[in-house]
Formats: sequence, C-alpha cells, structure tokens
Amino acid sequence: MSNFEIGLWSFPVLLAMIFLRIPIGLAMFIVGIGGNYLITGSTAMMFGQLKHLTYSTFSSYSLSIVPLFLLMGQFATLGGMSTALFKAAEAWLGHRKGRVAMAAIGACAGFGAICGSSLATAATMGQVALPELRRYGYSPALATGTLAAGGTLGILIPPSVVLVIYAILTEQNIAKLFIAAFIPGILAAIGYMIAISIYVRIYPNSGGVRERQPYRERFAALIEVWPVMLVFLAVVGGIYTGVFTPTEAAAVGAAGTFLIAFANGGMTGKSFRESVLATANSTAMIFLIVFGAAVYNGFLALSQVPQLSAEYVAGMGISPWMVMALVLVLYLVFGCVMDSLSMILLTVPIFFPIMMALDFGLPAEDFALWFGILVLIVVEVGLITPPVGMNLFVINSMAKDIPISQTFRGVLPFVITDLVRVVILTAFPPITLFLVWAFH
Amino acid sequence: MKSAISASEAQIRLLAKWTAIMGGIVLVLITAISVASIAGRALYTMANLGDGEGWRVMANAILRPIGSFATSLGAGPVPGDYGLVEAGTAFAVFAFLPWCHFNRGHAAVEILAGMFPGWLNRVIDIVSNLLMFGVALLIAWRLYLGMSDKMSYSETTLILQYPVWWSYAASMFGAVVFVIVSAWCLGRAIADFSDQGEYHASEAVH
Repeated sequence: MSNFEIGLWSFPVLLAMIFLRIPIGLAMFIVGIGGNYLITGSTAMMFGQLKHLTYSTFSSYSLSIVPLFLLMGQFATLGGMSTALFKAAEAWLGHRKGRVAMAAIGACAGFGAICGSSLATAATMGQVALPELRRYGYSPALATGTLAAGGTLGILIPPSVVLVIYAILTEQNIAKLFIAAFIPGILAAIGYMIAISIYVRIYPNSGGVRERQPYRERFAALIEVWPVMLVFLAVVGGIYTGVFTPTEAAAVGAAGTFLIAFANGGMTGKSFRESVLATANSTAMIFLIVFGAAVYNGFLALSQVPQLSAEYVAGMGISPWMVMALVLVLYLVFGCVMDSLSMILLTVPIFFPIMMALDFGLPAEDFALWFGILVLIVVEVGLITPPVGMNLFVINSMAKDIPISQTFRGVLPFVITDLVRVVILTAFPPITLFLVWAFH
Repeated sequence: MKSAISASEAQIRLLAKWTAIMGGIVLVLITAISVASIAGRALYTMANLGDGEGWRVMANAILRPIGSFATSLGAGPVPGDYGLVEAGTAFAVFAFLPWCHFNRGHAAVEILAGMFPGWLNRVIDIVSNLLMFGVALLIAWRLYLGMSDKMSYSETTLILQYPVWWSYAASMFGAVVFVIVSAWCLGRAIADFSDQGEYHASEAVH
C-alpha cells in the first residue's frame, strides 16, 4: 500500500471508530499513531515526537486563549449580566407582538459579545428568558426554539472559541477573523428576529405582548448593561489595536467578568469552584481533540493526502463554487451528528488547502477569512439541528413539560434563516470582508 | 472488583476534582499575571512619554509623573510573562484531563449508540476506556522522558532563566493523576459490564 492509500484508508477507519462512540480526540490520536507506524515502519519517530508534543501543544501560547475565554464565559454567567441584558432588550422591544422573543435574541447577541461558547450562552439566557417567555404566553415550541437558536450567537458573535481554533489551524490573524465575524453575527440576530415575526404572523396565538415602557425606563435599563459593553470593547478593541495579544485580551476579559460577578455578589467560593470545574471539563475536551488532531494531521501530512487531493480537485476543472457548495453541504450533514470543534479540527486541514488552491477571485488572506466565517456558520447550524443539536437539549432540559419534538419544530424557522444567510454570505463575500477592508 | 470500584469512587472523584481546581487556580494566576503585565506596560509607556504637541502636552504632563512614580515603585511589564502563561496553561490543561474523563466529558458521537444492544455499548465502553488508559500511560511516560531530556541538556527559559524541566515536572502532576483516574475508569467500565448495569451515556453529547 502506498503512503497515499494509507492516508485515504485512515478516513473510514477513523469514522468507524468515531461512530462506535470512541471519544473523537482519542480516535484521531490512535489512528494517527497507527498510520504513522504503517508509513514509517517503526514507532521511533512518533514516540520521539511524543516526548515533547504533548507539552508543547498544551503550553502553546496561542492556544492558551481557549481556557481563558472559557473561564471568561463561565464568570460572565455568574454576574447577573444575562438578566440585565434581557431587561434592556425587553424594555426597548417588548411591547409589540413577538417582541419578547426578539428581546431574548437581542440579549443572546449581547451575551455572545462577552462569551465565546454557544452552550454557555444558551444555558445562561435560557434560565433568564425561558420563564419570561412562558409568562407572556409564548408557545413552548417558539420559546425553546428561540433560545436554542439565540444560543448559537454566543459563538457567531466574537469572541469565539471556534474561530480561535480555525485561526491557529490556518495561520490567520485572530483579530481580523473576529472583525470579519461581526457583520455576519449581527445578520444572524436580525435573521432570527425576522423568523420570529413571521412565525407569530402564521401562528397568532404563539406569542404575547407586554406593555410599552417609557423612555426613561428604557435608558435606565440600557445603562445597566455598560459593564458588558466595557468588557467587549476592551477584549475586541484591545486585540484589534494590538495593545495586547489575543491571550492577554482573553485574560482581561476573564478578569473583567470576574470583577462584574464579584461586584454583583455572584462570586462565591462555591460558584467559583463550579465555574472552574466547568472550564476544566470544556478545556480538557477541546485540548484532547486538538492533541489528537495534531497527531492525526501530522500523519496525514506524511501521507500527502491534503496536498495531492488539493492538486487533484484543482485539476478537475469543475467550478470552484460547486466545490464550495459541496463542502458547505458536507459540513451541514456532519453537523447533525458531530460537535463543531471536532469537525473543524478534522476537516479544515484537508479542506483548507483544497479551497485555497481554487480561484474565487479573492486575495488569499481575504479568502481564508471569508471561508472561516462560512465554516463557522455551517458548523454552528449543527448545534440546532436534530437529532443531536446540543443547544436544543440544553434548553429543553430546562422545561421538563415541553416534549423535545416541540423544540425541534420550534427551531425550524431559525434553521431556515441560517441557511438563507449562508447562501447570501457565500454569494457576496464583501458582506463579510467589508469591515476588515474598512479598518485597513 | 465491583465493590473496590464503588468503594473508591468518592476518593477518585475528590482527587480528580481538586486536581482540576488547582489547575483552575493556576489559570486565575495566569489571568492576574497578564493583566498586571498589561498595566505595567501601560505605566512604563506613560513614564517615557515625550513632550507631545497641542492637547497632548497637557495630557503627557499629567500622565508622565504618574507613570514615573509607579515605575519608581517597581511597576512595569512582568518579565517572562509569556513563558509563565505557557507553563501555567500546560499545568492547567494536564490537571483538567482527569476530571473530564471521570465525568465522561469527552466529545463523542452518540448517534448510533442508541441502536446498539446494551452489551455492545458496554464492550465499547471497556475498549474506549482501555484506549484512554493506554494513551494516558503513553503521555505520562513520554512526558517523563521529555523532562529527562530537558534536565540533561540543562535547558533554561529565555528570560527568567529557570530550568525548562520545572515546567515539565509541574505538568507531570496532572499526567500522573490522569493515569490513576483513567485506570479507575477502566475498572468502572469493566464493573459495569460484569454487573450488566445501566449503560451510562456520556455527559457531553454533541
């Protein structure tokens, strides 16, 4: 068997292990080690690398941003910011039909600005907004669907852990990726609000209204959210202006949300331990996958599969847009069964060189940013598509009386707006790149 | 076997939990170091401001003494802060591994598991716990050899000049706890099988 064939055969083996419920990072590690052995004929090279690979992966300065962003998000959940954001959004929007649900989306977008994780956003905003939505008579389907979709804004709106991983894999500038994610993130929130307004027109009984609030109260509610603004500006502004590195920005963010939680009395010994343990769980999960992917991708590079398949696809003469459509559809399909980070770590090392070899009429860096945002969006759709959309289960577990089938139905309009957005952003790259260009 | 596993569950849980919390405390220290370093850098810049022009003359005249005063008290960028962040992150990540594994927290695809018969799921559980135990052993063993390398070369960090193997040694702590906890988890999977007990789905379904 040639090295290239060994590389190709590793895909079915890896997929079989993953579908047998072997943890994804573990499966990539094992297949990577095994494939390396088959190619080099001994364990010497791999075992030699392993003396320092684990430490160097776990101590990577650019990856240290990940646990710090996770910690920041966990502290953000303690500070009462979710309540303040929801109250502010509700004060401005709540008086028209369907607007309490739209307020929940607005609040999720605000929370996404200080939290890089979808699950944490869904869980936190769900606790605040779900009881309110039900109090105003929103149907179980719409209430849970809204919050599950709103949760994905946690990762679509920068900072975003998924984008950090993409940036490291493809050697792109994190600051520029965050800037590029901004307009698509806002479009996501707007799309979700449109979905709600259409939904309540089709099913008039699904959403209630609340009384209009005077402007004095609206501004009072808005002032309550200034710490969120401050932390967001410090983190994203600091990275962008180069005042501090992305890792330092994440540290500033963690310190900021810590102080907010402390000032609001949310930081107790117990809640601190719980935040740390939740951070520990997600961090270990991500780093095991990153480590497994490092070993597996090392093996793939040795087998030359990424280079040869890039040449092959580029030489086939089919339209680049066709390839793009295929790749995005593949992500949507895989997103139904796999989590976003695993998918990115598994596929980007193969797809990225293929896509870079095709001509979309964009400079290489612009293309890399645009492709990153498209991938981010399609993998995030996986969080709200059945059967294993994690956000759906997080929100559904908060309302024991709502059957999961209702939540599946309620999220459908939001998935449709996601798909429409993907098509628009794919067809018009400047929407994503406009802000990046404007800042240079 | 089963009684030994359930008898030691509380201790293993405590071990994994407090190892993770120690990692978390180091993570908070990293945060503090980074923030202190940014503040120190800002003060240092302030202390070395020029005269400036226009409105800056006034601003610089106010900021410079503040910066000078703070730097005279020893404020400034933390030396070797990047290196400390790296070593601290490595310690924390190693310390987090046992807790995640104990909680069955690693990302896995559960879609087909629901269709498998119970015995097959328990066999898969044993296999994946065995693999994880093997990987934990491999990581700890190779990390130990890596540490020995760094010791024999007497390699030191660039700025703070402390031996690199110290950071490896700190990481060894989490790596060893990971071996202990994953051995116990393998025992748990085997006990579940012999027990024909309930099949536990992993907690982090994606």
